[in-house]
Amino acid sequence: MENSRLSPTCQKPKFWRPRAFIGVLVILFSAFVSAMSWANEKTPDITELSVEDLMEVTIETVSKFEQRVIEAPASVSIITSEEIKKYGYRNLADLLRGVRGFFVNYDRAYHYLGIRGFSRGGDYNTRFLLLIDGHRINETIYDTATIGNELPLDIDLIDRVEVIRGPGSSLYGTNAIFGIINIITRKGGDLKGFEASGEAGSFYTYKGRLSYGNKFEKGLEVLVSGSLYDSQGDQKLYYGEYDSPATNFGIAKDCDDEGYGSFFGKASFYDFTLQGAYHKRKKEVPTGSWGTVFNSQGNRIIDERAYLDLKYERELAYELKFKGRLYYDDYFYGGDYIFDFAAPGNPPLLATAKDRTYSEAVGGEMNLSKTLFKKHQLILGGEYRYAFRQDQAYSEIIPIFDDHRTGWNWALYLQDEFEILKNLKLNAGVRYDDYSTFGGTFNPRGSIIYLPFEKTVLKLIYGRAFRAPNVYELYYTDNSTMKSNRNLDPEKIQNVEFVFHQYLGFNLWGTATVYYQRIDDLISQQVDPADGFLVFRNVDKVEGKGLELELEGKWKNGFRGRLSYVLQKTKDRETNETLVNSPSHLFKFNGIVPIWKEKLFVGLEEQFTSQRKTSGGHHAGAFFITNLTLFSQNLVKDLEISASVYNLFNKKYGDPVGEEHLQDEIKQDGRTFRFKITYRF
Amino acid sequence: MVRRCLRASFIVFTLAMLIWGPNVSAESMQSKEYLIKVAFLYNFIKFVDWPSESFKNGAAPINLCVLGDDPFGEALDTIRNKRVKGRRLVIKRVRRVEQIEGAHLLFISTSEKGRVKEILKSLADAPVLTISEMEGFGQNGGIINFITVDNKIQFEINSEKAQQHKLKISSQLLKLARIVRSES
Repeated sequence: MENSRLSPTCQKPKFWRPRAFIGVLVILFSAFVSAMSWANEKTPDITELSVEDLMEVTIETVSKFEQRVIEAPASVSIITSEEIKKYGYRNLADLLRGVRGFFVNYDRAYHYLGIRGFSRGGDYNTRFLLLIDGHRINETIYDTATIGNELPLDIDLIDRVEVIRGPGSSLYGTNAIFGIINIITRKGGDLKGFEASGEAGSFYTYKGRLSYGNKFEKGLEVLVSGSLYDSQGDQKLYYGEYDSPATNFGIAKDCDDEGYGSFFGKASFYDFTLQGAYHKRKKEVPTGSWGTVFNSQGNRIIDERAYLDLKYERELAYELKFKGRLYYDDYFYGGDYIFDFAAPGNPPLLATAKDRTYSEAVGGEMNLSKTLFKKHQLILGGEYRYAFRQDQAYSEIIPIFDDHRTGWNWALYLQDEFEILKNLKLNAGVRYDDYSTFGGTFNPRGSIIYLPFEKTVLKLIYGRAFRAPNVYELYYTDNSTMKSNRNLDPEKIQNVEFVFHQYLGFNLWGTATVYYQRIDDLISQQVDPADGFLVFRNVDKVEGKGLELELEGKWKNGFRGRLSYVLQKTKDRETNETLVNSPSHLFKFNGIVPIWKEKLFVGLEEQFTSQRKTSGGHHAGAFFITNLTLFSQNLVKDLEISASVYNLFNKKYGDPVGEEHLQDEIKQDGRTFRFKITYRF
Repeated sequence: MVRRCLRASFIVFTLAMLIWGPNVSAESMQSKEYLIKVAFLYNFIKFVDWPSESFKNGAAPINLCVLGDDPFGEALDTIRNKRVKGRRLVIKRVRRVEQIEGAHLLFISTSEKGRVKEILKSLADAPVLTISEMEGFGQNGGIINFITVDNKIQFEINSEKAQQHKLKISSQLLKLARIVRSES
């Protein structure tokens, strides 16, 4: 078992014994193989099919890499729902681990996303902009881009994820420092009825989902879905740093529970789309972070996120498009931390400290796009957001801090895509953002896309982006160790990159990227020597450069794969040292192999991450992870079954974590399993 | 050590599977798209009327020509010599435009992409149903163009062009098609 070496008393339920499980898989697999050799289906006479019938037959598209990837003025990756199923992704973090250049850390509270050698412990993915169908998910208090089970969307409802690398503030504003992750949800018409899904996995993890979607004749399209998730988590986690009799010899028992409930709905009618989501996730935190009492149930975090979004899209006149959006956002965070308030040497005096954060905002956005002289594609837009509630409160038995703020920001942006020649395009844009907190910022972006030959694409891209200081950084104080700083400025990044795409034959597509980036005014917490308080300041400067290579292949029979390697060097410009948690090498392989007809597939993932420096000055070792999924569809009509093994070789490794932990690195899960059934009716 | 060997052999096995595995099943599935397209071709014949002078006599066969690299392979042979509208279906695979003499249906392969305009021009208004599967084929003066929408095969028809070629396409087929127009 994954932790047997660490905690000899650890016992997993027998059902999940890896050997037995693999045995079962092998038997099932052989059964399929023998069944298929008997089947020997007779091909029907195709000439008897009518045109209507023929138009309903699904085929695999010929290897055509999405136009969006080729023409986008950025380095883009697209992951589809098909890959989500066939690689057995359980959440967005799983998906992003498989994307070129990304690395993900987990500290058993949240998942932390890194790219281009940058991922700071304890910050909540604030330098990525996360969108669901264009709706901003990052909230205003902590700026969190939620990629774990706190994402307000069941991963099964994703149609595709578009990852757009590099600064994107010229269109999207704050947070788009390293890139934009845009989730596009499935259409109601794709479901044509009900879909029920159930899954069970290691650590007594269960998830259920019921969805309904349809497109009606009058043009109404709806999708509604609800999910429930519950996991006991690793019931015995061992942390050497706590290995003393007073802290249960370093074992956190039954402290890793997680659960969520999620609702999502959308309806489109003519030019209108109304979308709403509600999601609540609870997680027990077993690591003793923030100095909480170790091995004590009740150290808990709650993330609640809801939104409503009304979108209107219409072609007003020939080649003149209008897009408008009105939204309401709601966010709640609750942290319960159990502290020992007794003086050293006295018997323990446990009490729960409570962190409570609320945020509510309304906003709107509109833009016009127009094609001019057949050569210019102009976009002019603006947006406004008013956060009418931004409350932070902290209490340790008695209230210590209670802060209420409102805030607004508006922006104007303009972008032009100029087709100079048939094979040469210039894309330039600029956006001005104005914030009630720090004032204004300009962020431009420009790119040249050139296709010297039919199968070659070259892109040169320059961009600047910013991240506005958030409410937590500006105002949070506990009056004993932390003080606020209202004079924070936005963080800034400048990035230049060169992208080279090349078709290699018909089925292969190669990408090479080199980039150079400079980040200034990074907001970091440091000690004010005047009074000894911790305070956020615009201090750090970072420089990064790197090379990214990827080879992608798609074949008509359903066989596809991606192979990527990233070499990166990201350092602090003051100390000239490589950043903490910054791997120099990342290697990834993803492959889907059709085993039998279009019914049985194997999805394989190989991921290598080189060693990373920890905040304690040590190194978290390099590791190599293999994930394997056996996926079947239509063995029985409308039924999908999959079985996945994650970390197949039970590799023991840890992720560097933020300084709120006593641990320098947090051990990650060993081999785990998941079994999943989805049925449409 | 044992673990490492196991791991190495697993990776080798998987890679081997990746390299050789798909080829086994590829054959049958790769042609599925073209098997469907062949069935479409066969169906088109039923919904299109050629002027009677395009046939030598009442028993003359219907000629289907594939110009350029043949994407259909064996799939096309499933309809060879089939009887449709009381005539035998004859299939010819040709390389040069001069060889298409007498064709009723002309499938222009994507290998001819570079010179598709010339080919269409050389046909003038001859009663030939031109079919292809390239972007803008209909707009360039082709008659039927296969497109793929949501992994399903659909088709565009340039009905004006069909009239110019003196071909009558049944409204039943037009209803299912996306109608396109020539763009000069």
